[in-house]
Amino acid sequence: MKFEIEDITVYFPYDNIYPEQYSYMVELKRALDAKGHCLLEMPTGTGKTIALLSLITSYVLSKPHSPLKLLYCTRTVHEMEKTLAELRLLHDYQLRHLGPAAKILALGLSSRKNLCVNPRVLAAENRDSVDAGCRKLTASWVRAVAAENPGVPTCEFFEQYERAGSSAVLPPGVYTLQDLRVYGKEKGWCPYYLARHMVQFANVVVYSYQYLLDPKVAGIISKEMQKESVVVFDEAHNIDNVCIEALSVSVRRQTIEGARRNLNRMRQEIDKFKATDAGRLRAEYNRLVEGLALRGDLPATDAWLANPALPDDILKEAVPGNIRRAEHFIHVLRRLVQYLEGRLDTENVEKESPVSFVVSILNHAGIDQKALKFCYDRLHSLMMTLEITDTDEFLHIQTICDFATLVGTYARGFSIIIEPFDERMPHIPDPVLQLCCHDASLAIKPVFERFQSVVITSGTLSPIDLYPRLLNFNPVVSRSFTMSLTRDCICPMVLTRGSDQLPVSTKFDMRSDLGVVRNYGRLLLEMASVVPDGIVCFFVSYSYMDGIVNTWNENGILKEIMQHKLVFIETQDVVETTLALDNYRKACDCGRGAIFFSVARGKVAEGIDFDRHYGRLVIMFGVPFQYTLSKILLARLEYLRDTFQIKEGDFLTFDALRQAAQCVGRVIRSKADYGMMIFADKRYSRHDKRSKLPSWILSHLHDAHLNLSTDMALHIAREFLRKMAQPYDKTGGTGRKTLLSQEDLEKMAVSGLDDMMY
Amino acid sequence: MSSRQVVKRAKYKTTVKDPGTPGVLKLTQDKFVFKPNDPTSKTKLDVEFRFIQGHKVTKEGSKKPAWLNLIHSQGSYIFELETFADLHVCRELVGVALNKQVPGEATKVISEEQLSPAEMALKIKLLQEDSKLQRLHKELVASGKLTESEFWATKKKMLDQDESRKLKQQIGFKNSLIFDTKPMSDGRINQVKFQLTPEIKYQIFALKPAVHQAFLNFVPRKMNEVDFWNKYFKAEYLHSTKNAVAAAAEAAEDEDLAVFLKDDEILEIEARKKVRRVDPTLDMEADQGDDYTHLPDHGIFRDGSKDISEAQNSLYKRTLLQDLNRQGAVVLEGKTLDMEMEHPRTVAEILARRKQECDGVVDEERQNRISKMTLIDDLQAQDNHPYAPLCIKDPRDYFDFQQANAVKTLDDSQTGMEQMKCSLGSEEAYGSLRASISKIKTTGLRDPLFSPDVALKVLNGLTKNISSPKYHLGRSSQGSVLDILPNTTKETLLDHWVCSQELLRHFWSSYPITTQNLVNKTRRLKESISQIYSKLEDIKVSAESDLRHHVSLVVHPMQQALNAALLHYEADIRKRNARGQKPNGYV
Repeated sequence: MKFEIEDITVYFPYDNIYPEQYSYMVELKRALDAKGHCLLEMPTGTGKTIALLSLITSYVLSKPHSPLKLLYCTRTVHEMEKTLAELRLLHDYQLRHLGPAAKILALGLSSRKNLCVNPRVLAAENRDSVDAGCRKLTASWVRAVAAENPGVPTCEFFEQYERAGSSAVLPPGVYTLQDLRVYGKEKGWCPYYLARHMVQFANVVVYSYQYLLDPKVAGIISKEMQKESVVVFDEAHNIDNVCIEALSVSVRRQTIEGARRNLNRMRQEIDKFKATDAGRLRAEYNRLVEGLALRGDLPATDAWLANPALPDDILKEAVPGNIRRAEHFIHVLRRLVQYLEGRLDTENVEKESPVSFVVSILNHAGIDQKALKFCYDRLHSLMMTLEITDTDEFLHIQTICDFATLVGTYARGFSIIIEPFDERMPHIPDPVLQLCCHDASLAIKPVFERFQSVVITSGTLSPIDLYPRLLNFNPVVSRSFTMSLTRDCICPMVLTRGSDQLPVSTKFDMRSDLGVVRNYGRLLLEMASVVPDGIVCFFVSYSYMDGIVNTWNENGILKEIMQHKLVFIETQDVVETTLALDNYRKACDCGRGAIFFSVARGKVAEGIDFDRHYGRLVIMFGVPFQYTLSKILLARLEYLRDTFQIKEGDFLTFDALRQAAQCVGRVIRSKADYGMMIFADKRYSRHDKRSKLPSWILSHLHDAHLNLSTDMALHIAREFLRKMAQPYDKTGGTGRKTLLSQEDLEKMAVSGLDDMMY
Repeated sequence: MSSRQVVKRAKYKTTVKDPGTPGVLKLTQDKFVFKPNDPTSKTKLDVEFRFIQGHKVTKEGSKKPAWLNLIHSQGSYIFELETFADLHVCRELVGVALNKQVPGEATKVISEEQLSPAEMALKIKLLQEDSKLQRLHKELVASGKLTESEFWATKKKMLDQDESRKLKQQIGFKNSLIFDTKPMSDGRINQVKFQLTPEIKYQIFALKPAVHQAFLNFVPRKMNEVDFWNKYFKAEYLHSTKNAVAAAAEAAEDEDLAVFLKDDEILEIEARKKVRRVDPTLDMEADQGDDYTHLPDHGIFRDGSKDISEAQNSLYKRTLLQDLNRQGAVVLEGKTLDMEMEHPRTVAEILARRKQECDGVVDEERQNRISKMTLIDDLQAQDNHPYAPLCIKDPRDYFDFQQANAVKTLDDSQTGMEQMKCSLGSEEAYGSLRASISKIKTTGLRDPLFSPDVALKVLNGLTKNISSPKYHLGRSSQGSVLDILPNTTKETLLDHWVCSQELLRHFWSSYPITTQNLVNKTRRLKESISQIYSKLEDIKVSAESDLRHHVSLVVHPMQQALNAALLHYEADIRKRNARGQKPNGYV
C-alpha cells in the first residue's frame, strides 16, 4: 500500500497496516524533520522493523536533494538476517512501484568469521583465529614477500579483489551475509573487504551494535560515516549494558602470564630486526616523534583494532620520550605487568578510582599518566613494525595495553576493583583486577554527537524517562505506544502459589526449597497437558536451570512432562543450542509439541522469535535479578545513585523487569498471533515490581490474574485457548479499527488523525 | 542404465527357426529401428512402442541364445543379440518404454486428476465388485454432474478399508529413551542390574553414534557381545554417579572403557555439519565472539553457582541437559528401520549405511525459510483458500429450515392453506410479536389456543397418511406397495432413490458456501436435482390409473426432500444477493 504522511509518500509492502505502525511512522518523521534523536517504545509483535525501514527509505526517496544514510544496528547476526530479509521485501515493492529510481545498495557487515570464503582461513574455529589466519595471508608485508617468492601463501580472493581495483563494486540490491559470500565466490573477490569498502557507498548498512559503540571496532569501520545519517538501535532496551561492556577490561593471572610471554617474544623480534633491518626501527622512531594519532593511509589489511579510548580523548601530540625506542617501551610494559601482578597478590577486596591508581603506578613503577595513555597506540605501532601476523597470540598484552590506555585517559565514571577470589570458592585463589565502566553515556556520546538522528527503539523501554538519564541525551520525541488488539490475544498471569497454596519464588533463600521446585514442576506439567504446540520456559540463570531440571529428573516430574512434549534446553554451547532450537521448531511444525528451557539473560532470550505455534505459552520462572553480590554491580549502583540519583532497588527492579518483559514478548508477532504469559513468582504481584512492566502487558493484566495458584492458572489457560480458537473479524469488530486498509488511511487523511481511536 | 538410447548389433528373425538377418537394432523410449547390414534387404523395421503389448527374453545360463521377443497384436518381433549383457541393456530400456505407455493412457482417460496407479486400480476394483456402485458412478460422473474427486469423497470408507491393510503405521520412539536404561537395584545385594532388550539396543545406537561405531569395530573381533554391553553399562554407572574424577581414572586404566566415557566425537562432527544448514534466524553460532550480550560481567560468569568446574576433567563430564537435547533430536528423526530384524549386527550395519545417505545440501531451502519467517501474514491481503475456514453457522437459519420442512409434509392435505414464510427478518418478527401482544391486550386470551377447525384439519391429515396404505392393502401385512408395481417401474424408482440420496448428500454438505468452487458445485447439483424431480413427476403421470395412487405415495417423500433442497438453494441465492459481502470469508 502507498499513503501520505504530511509531505512524504510512504511505500509499505503489505496490503494492511496497524494503527501503531502508522503512529510510529508519524513520530519517527517528526524526529527526522527536527534532525534530532528519539526514543520509541513499540509493543512487541506489531511490525516495528518494517515500519522503521519503510518510513526511512520513503523519507529518503521523497527528498533526493538531501540523501540520508541508514545505519541499522542489531544485537545479533540472526537479527541482522531478519532485518535484511524485510528490507529486501520492501525494496522489491518499491522497485515495482517506482522503477529504477528506487534502487538502493543495502548490505550487512559482520566479522571475517561470517563473511570469509577461504577454506584455509575458515578452518579456524573462533573469531580471533579467523582474523589472524586472514592477516597471515593479506598483510602488506606478507604480500610483498609473496611478490618475490611465489611459494609464500596468499589469499586468492583478496588478491583478485585487489587486482580488480575500482571496478570491484556491488551492484544495487539488498545483500545478506549469505548473498555476499555467494557473490564473492562467483567473482572470486573477498566478501569481507568488498563489504568494508562498499559500506562507504551504501544507502543502508546493517551491522551489530559494537560497530558503533565499541571504540576499538568503531574506529576502523564507522569513522568515515557521514553526519547525515540515521542511526537506529533496534531492541535497544539493553543498550546501556552494551556501552558499559565496551569500555571494561578484566585482568587475571593468566593474562599476566600471557603478557609476559608476549613481551619475551617481542623482545626477540626486536633483536632480530636490529640485526637485519635497523632502518625500519629508526623510521618508526621518527614517526613517533611526529605523533601517532596523525597516522593515516594504512592498508586496510594492516589495520588492527583501534584505540580503546573515544576519538575525542585521543591525544594528538608527540609520543613521550621514554617509550619512543622499542626497547624502552618493552621495558615500560614489563614494569607495568610486574606492578599489576603485585596488585593481584592481595588478601582483601580493593576498590580504587583511576586517579589514585595512576598515582600508585607512578610511585611504584615509575610510569606517568601520559605514557599510559599512549600504551595501546605504541603497541600497535610496534607490532606493525615487527610485522606480527598471528595476532591471536598477542591478545594478552593487548588487554594490558587496553587497561593502561583507559585508566590513563579517564578519571570519572570508572573504578578499579580487585578481588582475590571468587566468593563461591573462597579457598581457591583466583584473583581478578577489573577496570569497570559505570557510565553508559561515555561510549554512546560520540554517536549522538556525530550523527544527525539516533533512534532508540524496543518493545521494552519502560520507564522511558530513565534512558535519557542513563545515556545522557535529549530526545526530541519520546513516545511509548500502546497496543490495539483485535481480540485479547495475550493473557498475562501472575502465579504466586502452587496448588498446595505454598508460595513460589526464586528469592535466594527460597530457591532450593523442595516445595518450590515441586510446584514449579507441577505448573509446567499441567500446562504441558493443556497448551498445544510450543511452550517456552525462562529461568533466572544457567545454574538454577541446571539444578531444577536435575531435581525434576530425580523426582520423576521430568519423565511425566516428557510424556506430553519433547524437551529441548539451551546450554552454553552455542552449537548445541542452535541445533536444539532447530529441532524445537521441527517438533512444533510436525505437531509433536515441544518445551524449550532457556535462561532469561542468555542468548535465546535476545533475538529468537517464538511466534505463532512456536510459542503459545511463556513461563517466567522467577524474577531475573542480577547477581547482587557482584562487586561490579555494587560499584555501578553506587555510581548511579551518586550521579543520577537512581536508587539501588529501583535500578535492580528495572533491570530485572525489562529482562522478564523481553522474555515474554517473544511469543507475539502479529495481532493474529496469540500467546499466554505466566510470571511465576510471588514478587510479581507487588506493585513496585509489576508497574515496571511495559504498558502493553499491563493493560491486559487483569486484577483477577494477579494472585493465582496453579489450578486457577490452568482454568484461565483453558478458557483462553478456547476463546482463541473462535473465528473473529480481523479488521476490528467492536467499532475500533485495529487493522487499517488503504481506504481507511485515505479517510483519515481527509478527516484528520482524530478518527484513530485505539 | 539411464541412457535414453541403445544401439546394439542384432539379428532379426521372422520365426524362431529363421537363421536371421544381421543388422543394427536401435532402441529409444518411443520406438525401435532395425537396419540390416545389407542395404538392399527388405526387412527394415521402424515400430513405435505404442503397438507393443509385451516383451520376453530368454534366461541367462540356458542353452538358448540371447533372444528379445517383442509381442504385438499380430505376432512378435524376434531379435537375437550377441551377448546376454546386451540383452539385459535392451530389456531394461524396453521395460521403461512399455511402462511409460501405461500411465499415458490412464492420464488421457482421466485428464482432470492425476491419480497414482495404485489408487486408480483400487477404484476400478471397487467399481467392478459392486454393480450398483458402478451404475451410480456411470450416471453421475460420466454425465458430468459430479467430478471424480467429489464422487469418491463420500466413498472414503471404502477406500480406507483397503488402504488400512497396506499402510501399516510406523511406531516412533518413545520420549523416554534415557529413562529406559536406568538400573534396577533391589537394595539388599550390592548389585545393580540393567535390563537389555533388542529395542533398547536399537535406541542406544540411535542416541549414541560412538557406541554404535564401537560396536561395529569391537564385536566380534575384539570382544563378544556380552563383554561389550558389560563395559557399556559400567560406563553408564560411572556417569550416573556424577564423579568426573573417577571416570577419568577408569578411562586411564581401560582404553576400551574410555570410548564410552568420553564425549561423542561423531555427534560433534554431525552437529557442526548441521549448524551450517540451520535457518539463519536461529544461527547463534554466527554470533560467537562478536558481541557483548553473551558475556555478562565482561566474561566473568557469575550467577551464584557453587559448582566447581575443573578443566582437566571436563572431558569426562556429561550433563542431563545434553542428554535431553540429544533425545529430542532422535525422537524427531524417528525410526528408519523395521524392528523385525532381530540380529543386532545386521541392525547396526544397516543403520551405519543409512546415515551416509541422509546428507543433502539444502542451501536454497535455508534462504526460503528466513523470508517465510519474516513475513507478517496478518498485514497481507486475504487469499481465497480452496477449503472452508472454521466457522459457526447461525443457529436460527438451521431451526427455521427444520420448521419449514415439517410444515411441508402436510402440504397435500392443506390445500388452500396460507403459505408460511421460511425466513423472517427481525423487523417482521418484531412486528408480528407486537401485533400478537396488542391483540391479546384487546381481546384477552381465548379459551382454546388454536382454532378447532385448524386442529381438526391437522389431525385428519396425519391419520389419513398413516392408515391409508394399510386400508388399501388389507390382504396381507407382509406386502409392500412396491410389490404391486411392475418390475420396470420398481427398478426405476429404486435407481432414482439411490441417485437422489447421493445428490442430496453432496448438496447439503456444500453449505455454508465459502468459496467459488462451492458456488459452482451447488449450481450443478441444483440442476441435477431438478432433472430427477421432473423424472419422478413423469413417472407419477405415466402410471396406470389403478396404480397411480400407490406410485404417488412412494414418490411423494422423495419429491419433498428434493424440493426442500431446491427451496433452500433459491432462498440462499436471494439472501446472498441481498446482503452482499459477508464476513468470515463467506462467498
